[in-house]
Amino acid sequence: MRIWPVASGVAWRTLKVVFTNPSLFFPSLIFPLFFFTAFAGGLSQVARVPGFDFEPGYTAFQFCFVLIQSAAFGGVFTGFGIARDFEYGFARRLLLAAPNRTGIVLGYAIAALARWAVTATVLTIVALVAGMNVFGGPVDVFGMFALALLINIAGLLWASGVAMRFRTIQAGPVMQMPVFLTLFFAPVYVPLGLLDGWIEALATLNPVTYVLEAARSMLAGDEVHVLLAFGLAVGLIGGFAFWALRGLRSAEAAG
Amino acid sequence: MAAQDNSIAVEGLVREFKKGPRAVDGIDLRVEPGEIYGFLGPNGAGKSTTVLMLTTLLPPTSGTARVGGYDVVKEGPKVRSVIGAALQEAALDPMLTGRDHLRLQSTMQGIARAERKERSNELLERVGLSEAADRRVGGYSGGMKRRLDLALALVHRPRLLFLDEPTTGLDPQSRTALWDEVGRLAREDGVTVFLTTQYLEEADVLADRVGIIDHGRIVAEGTPSSLKAEIGLPSVHANPVEEGDRGRLASVLAAFGEPLGDGSRDVVVRLREGLAGLPAVVRAVDDAGLTLASLEIQAPSLDDVFLAKTGRSLEGAGEGEADAAEPAA
Repeated sequence: MRIWPVASGVAWRTLKVVFTNPSLFFPSLIFPLFFFTAFAGGLSQVARVPGFDFEPGYTAFQFCFVLIQSAAFGGVFTGFGIARDFEYGFARRLLLAAPNRTGIVLGYAIAALARWAVTATVLTIVALVAGMNVFGGPVDVFGMFALALLINIAGLLWASGVAMRFRTIQAGPVMQMPVFLTLFFAPVYVPLGLLDGWIEALATLNPVTYVLEAARSMLAGDEVHVLLAFGLAVGLIGGFAFWALRGLRSAEAAG
Repeated sequence: MAAQDNSIAVEGLVREFKKGPRAVDGIDLRVEPGEIYGFLGPNGAGKSTTVLMLTTLLPPTSGTARVGGYDVVKEGPKVRSVIGAALQEAALDPMLTGRDHLRLQSTMQGIARAERKERSNELLERVGLSEAADRRVGGYSGGMKRRLDLALALVHRPRLLFLDEPTTGLDPQSRTALWDEVGRLAREDGVTVFLTTQYLEEADVLADRVGIIDHGRIVAEGTPSSLKAEIGLPSVHANPVEEGDRGRLASVLAAFGEPLGDGSRDVVVRLREGLAGLPAVVRAVDDAGLTLASLEIQAPSLDDVFLAKTGRSLEGAGEGEADAAEPAA
């Protein structure tokens, strides 16, 4: 059974609902811009702290974090939509109309990507207008966005696995909280080298730290941890894809 | 060949829910190609659970079911490609228009892009939603949602159609229109229809054969006329003017046939000699000095069949049982 007709149908419907309903679309656009403005603008003096050695500057330093954050939460927001579909019964139509149900997960993933692409575009334009320095070449910049894209898919797969197990929008905190904590236990405001104590220990163990450092290094044109970061991102996708497909089977079994 | 088989074959189908009774308790049934099969029963009898299993939305606990020649457990994708279904609660997105729903459904079913628009327009017209097609479904009435649901079920020209209480909540005009359409699909297009209902009239008018389900078991099956013939004899329903005469009336009427408790205030007796026994009933009531507020003769209905098979009337029989036996929507 072909997977593409199902995936394209689900993606089209999800995007149509999101882009024609400001209340669904704007939060995922506004929050990253708010975080970027607040962090890059309000905390810009952090760049003067001894040991802060990120050459493109604090705006670029924060841009990378907000880009990764928006990618992860873009996936989570789409997960909210999946939970809503189950809670209000629409998922039953999808399960019934889809000869190949794996296409449903793929369709949601495509929608999450497209949705995040809009957010990432706006965020990048705002950052460039705000004077962000980009020292990396086209390949570096492409790599940074590709890494964020993988995080977006991982976020979506995580959230869809939760959504299909709980099948209620009340599972929102379960989708959101682990992502929030993992992101903020990475070096958000200063480089890893400036962290100290328990937060440094936690950040060193946190895979997002290496994703974030790789993204920043690509923007700076001075790559570190790039292979490790892509490996971690692909690993997260593999693990969460398994999690999401098991969630789909759980939803099928529950009827 | 399985690919051309429009039948439904069920053997020993069971569905159990955690902390609940067996919603479906070992049913066997067969629906022939092109047949309209009415699945009749009160709320909570197991009708919807059966439909969910036959449409691959719920795995059976045990037993087998083949739909369109395919096993619902092992060949779910193939089953879904040959069936259409309109479930009890129309699963529609209030933020999409009717036309959007048709586009989604036809895309997911792999209908060629060039054909989608034409097919959508054809179905919208057939269910009388052409004018409302570009309005959001959130503003549709219950009847409009039902009709859209039916159109969605037909998008890919299914060989088998499952309709779960399709006319519940519809006005009489919409109900008749839907009956006409279902009848046309079976007659002209050869679609096999599996229809659940709690309306006796609907099963009587529409179904070629009826299965009556109660507490997860099929208690009777056959054509509506054969089931009624099984019960056979008409019943007399009498109501005394004086409430205190009820016992005496019951004993007088008991001489003319089998007493039936139909759950109403009437004294009911199935006439052993059919309508021929009616004059004797009237004379006996008169001789006993009883005055009646009402006296009615009723030919057997499907409700009488249900009553005879379960000891209860279908009307209201399932009140309060729905939550226990039906899966959460």
